[in-house]
Amino acid sequence: MIENISLKILKIKGETMAAMTAPENTPVWVNTARCKACDICVDACPAGVLSMQQEPTSTLGAMISVIAPDSCIGCNECELSCPDFAIYVATKKEFKFAKLTDSSKSRQEAIENNGYRLPEDYKEAN
Amino acid sequence: MAFNYDNYLRVEKMPTLWCWGCGDGIILKSFIRAVEKIGWEKDDVCIVSGIGCSGRFSSYVDFNTVHTTHGRTIAFATGIKLANPDKHVVCVAGDGDGLAIGGNHTIHGCRRNIDMTMILINNFIYGLTNSQTSPTTPQGMWTVSQKAGNIDPTFDACELAIAAGASFVGRETVNSPKKMEKIMLQAMEHKGFSFLDIQSNCHINLGRKNKMQSAMQNLDWIDSITVSKKKYDAMSPEEQLNLFPTGILKQDTEVREYCDMYEDIKKVQQGERKPITQDEFAKKI
Repeated sequence: MIENISLKILKIKGETMAAMTAPENTPVWVNTARCKACDICVDACPAGVLSMQQEPTSTLGAMISVIAPDSCIGCNECELSCPDFAIYVATKKEFKFAKLTDSSKSRQEAIENNGYRLPEDYKEAN
Repeated sequence: MAFNYDNYLRVEKMPTLWCWGCGDGIILKSFIRAVEKIGWEKDDVCIVSGIGCSGRFSSYVDFNTVHTTHGRTIAFATGIKLANPDKHVVCVAGDGDGLAIGGNHTIHGCRRNIDMTMILINNFIYGLTNSQTSPTTPQGMWTVSQKAGNIDPTFDACELAIAAGASFVGRETVNSPKKMEKIMLQAMEHKGFSFLDIQSNCHINLGRKNKMQSAMQNLDWIDSITVSKKKYDAMSPEEQLNLFPTGILKQDTEVREYCDMYEDIKKVQQGERKPITQDEFAKKI
C-alpha cells in the first residue's frame, strides 16, 4: 500500500518534470495556471517579447502573452525575476535566439509606456 | 531544458499564496538555484521559517521543513543543528519576525556563530497583518498603526548582525536575482552563522499609501535606496545617509564554529578530556 502511494507521487512528479522540456521552436513559454499578471517579466524584458493582454477570467483582468517570440535574445531575465515559477526560457541549444535590434527596443519602450500592454495601433519600425 | 524548479517544489501547493509580484517568490527561486549549485541532497537540508508572509517559504519547498512560532526560527534551528551537525539548516524570517519579536534570538544566534544561514526577507512592513509599522519601516512612511507618519527610527539589520558577531553578513535586493543567488551560495558555503538581509517589495501593503501601488514602482524605490558596497565606500558620509550598501559586508573565517566547540563539551562529559579553561580562547573577556 505504501509502495503504491510513493509510486503515484513519483509519477506525478515525473509528469511535471517532463513538462519542463522546451516545446519545439519555442524560445519562451508560460504556465498560465501560475501567472498572476504582475508585470515584472514584461518590465525585465529588453526586447519587447512579452506583453500583458486582456483576460476577463484572470484575477487582475490581464494575462501574460508572448507577442514576438522571434525577437527573444535568450537573456533569461524574465525567468529569473518571475516570482511565481510561471515563465521559462529555452537554452541556447534548443533555440537559435535573435540579436537585440532597434525595432525590438522601440517595441519594448512602447509596451512600457502603455502600462505594459502593446498599443493597439502599434506599427513595427523597420 | 529550462531550469526545473518543480524538482524542489511541492507542486501540489502551486500557485503560491503570495500576492502578485511579491519578491518572496524571486527569493525562493534564487534559493532553489543556489541549493542546486551547491549540490545538497534534499534530505540533508532543513528549512525553518516563522510567522508572516516569509513563513510560507517552508510550505513550498520539498526539503525537511519546520514552520515554527513567531520569531523563534533561530531557537528551533539551533536545536536542529546541534542534534544534526552534519545537516544543513537554513532559517527564513521576515523583518518583523526576525528583528522585532525574534530580535533577541537573532542576536544570540549571531553571537554563538552556529553554522546556519539566516535569510531575513526585509519588506519594510508587517505585510501579512495589513501594514503595521515594523522595525525597518522608513521614517515618515504611512502605516496602519502610525497613520500620521512613522516616527520610529529604522533598524539596519546588517549593522545589527555585524555588531552581534555573525561571521558572514550580506545584503542583496530582489532586483538582482543573479547576485542574490551568488550571495546565497557564498553564505551557505560559509562555515559559521551567515546573515543575509534580502530587501523585498510589498507594494500591496507598504506601497498602497506610499505612492508605490505597483510591483515595479516598489522595486524601483528599492533600487534607489541601495548601492553596491564598492560605490558606497567611495561616498562621503552625507551621501551615504539614505543608502544601504549591498554585497558581502563582513566575512570572517577565523572564528570557531559553535558545533565544533560543543564537541569539546561532549568529550569532557565522557571523560575523554579535561574541562575547558580560559587559556583555550584567544579573546578571554
